[in-house]
Amino acid sequence: MHWDHIFGGVDVKITIINCMLPFGIIRDIDDYSKIINEILKYDITFNILKFATGTNGVNLLLDVPEDKIKMITDALTQNSVVVNKKGRVIVDDDKCIDCGACLSLCPTDALYFDESLRLNFSYEKCIGCLLCLDSCPRRAIEEM
Amino acid sequence: MPKTYDEINQKIRNGDVVVVTAEEMIKIVEDSGVQVAAKEIDVVTTGTFGPMCSSGAFLNFGHSDPPIKLEHLWLNEVHAYHGNAAVDCYIGVTRSVDIKPYDYGGGNVIEDLVSRKSIRLRGTSYTTDCYPLEEIDTYFTIDDLNQAILCNPRNAYQKYVCAVNTTDKTLYTYMGKLLPNLGNAHYAGAGCLNPLCNDPDYETIGIGTRIFLGGGIGYVMGEGTQHDPKNGFGTLFLKGDLKQMKPEYLRGVNFEKYGSSMSVGVGLPIPILNENLARKTAVKDENIETDVVDYGVPRRNRPVLIKVNYKELKSGKIDINGKEVKVSSLSSLFYAKKIAKELKTWIEDGLFFLNPPAENLPTNTTYNPMKQVSELKFVKDLKKPAITCFDDCDIKVVAEKIIEENTNHIVIIDKENHLIGIVTSFDVTKAIARDKTHIRDIITKKVITASDNEPIEVAVRRMKMNNISALPIISDEKKCTGIISSEELM
Repeated sequence: MHWDHIFGGVDVKITIINCMLPFGIIRDIDDYSKIINEILKYDITFNILKFATGTNGVNLLLDVPEDKIKMITDALTQNSVVVNKKGRVIVDDDKCIDCGACLSLCPTDALYFDESLRLNFSYEKCIGCLLCLDSCPRRAIEEM
Repeated sequence: MPKTYDEINQKIRNGDVVVVTAEEMIKIVEDSGVQVAAKEIDVVTTGTFGPMCSSGAFLNFGHSDPPIKLEHLWLNEVHAYHGNAAVDCYIGVTRSVDIKPYDYGGGNVIEDLVSRKSIRLRGTSYTTDCYPLEEIDTYFTIDDLNQAILCNPRNAYQKYVCAVNTTDKTLYTYMGKLLPNLGNAHYAGAGCLNPLCNDPDYETIGIGTRIFLGGGIGYVMGEGTQHDPKNGFGTLFLKGDLKQMKPEYLRGVNFEKYGSSMSVGVGLPIPILNENLARKTAVKDENIETDVVDYGVPRRNRPVLIKVNYKELKSGKIDINGKEVKVSSLSSLFYAKKIAKELKTWIEDGLFFLNPPAENLPTNTTYNPMKQVSELKFVKDLKKPAITCFDDCDIKVVAEKIIEENTNHIVIIDKENHLIGIVTSFDVTKAIARDKTHIRDIITKKVITASDNEPIEVAVRRMKMNNISALPIISDEKKCTGIISSEELM
């Protein structure tokens, strides 16, 4: 399995990291707490913005202080947590009507308007939180 | 020196009419003043493009052979309204298909119609001597119809509120997906480009006003439903020939866990007949104020948190009591601008003329709430005392209470009456089957609750949505003050 380290060389100020706890590795509730305890060892305060279960595992969206990102990322990856920064949605321009219903859902401005007010998507900024998916009234945003 | 409609139309014919968009007018008035602007500018064009639920189309299919009197009919599996003559119908944009309710609706049918796609018509009839056919299943395109008339009872809201959510759950509303704890905000409308913001006193907009509607020519039929000009929430009743319209400006939209609608493109020309109109059409986003409303309160009168203007809304971020909240629109500003520009081009090219209204619209009315004859009942009116146990008691005690009190729900509290959790008779059964002895092994700690001043229907829906049969009632201090359960409410 490939562990993807985040934010290496990316000049975007993002303090939210998206991680996946794969079901294959985590069997019961105690395993989750082991992982959280491991992070807490580093004495970092962070907010869990999203805690969701999916077919692949548990998806966490963490709000981490900027300077602690590397530390927390290392702690997470050592504990078999997939830390993911890659974009995971795609916008269908034929369906999109440039309304902007998705914009306020995006925590990293990966969905944004260009100067002519048309919707654009930045693959680099997307953290794959998928909050935007069901916000699109045109079903123009799809998971990649 | 006031201008007349005839003078402006003569200029259109001559090809020397001066038309600007409502956005361009702001700078002209700023730079040259109202007097010069009133003299030099003939028409200001406006535009808006957003979801307008009170929209739909009247269609006439022509008669089948043998003839059918449609009783129920579906267009691409979307139920259309039939209460007119045999083969007339009204397809409303908010009706969704029965099987995939948030994927396709009446708005999509209209978009597909103007895209000249083939539409399936399925209909049934009770049959009469003059209309013997019982069922029809056929396909048609818009060109096969005798008439297709877009007829929208409420469009072009002067402005709309900005929606937020202060609860701890994501809400899916007609104002889109609202994240918990003021996680985001949604608004609608195009601000300074909104047609009614440019003629707020209805000097030029009235019955019969020719407009841009869905990429074709339409007309104002009158005031829209819920027309509320006194509070700055005016609306328009619009119609137009669907056959001339373009799919680009009529787009079916489907809001997750809410339903279907249609984004409608509307543009109105404002003739600059006098200086007053020049001044009014120079309205800026910062002059158009609206309320930020908490959609977390499921009542008719939702709490207003703060006031904002459209300049702040368009900036993408608003400050709500010290918290920076991302805000975005459900209406497309790109298309609003495009509509204002397209209408401008039509007028400049001599394809569109202006006309005075046949009648003026009401300017001093407001709209009223529904008259309800039954009294609104609240949780506090119907709650019962909760049967409680302390959190350190034995399961046997809980089981005895269930029998004694003939109930299914035991509310677990601490010594100060704070809610700790809930145990149901099923939980006790499970405990026996699995040899659990302590209450902490079977208690549900994340309890879904209600409060005294919620309407009973709101609490009942919460039970249904969570598939549970009782809600403990808690006070602001999280103390248990009672319970409502589905058994008593039935």
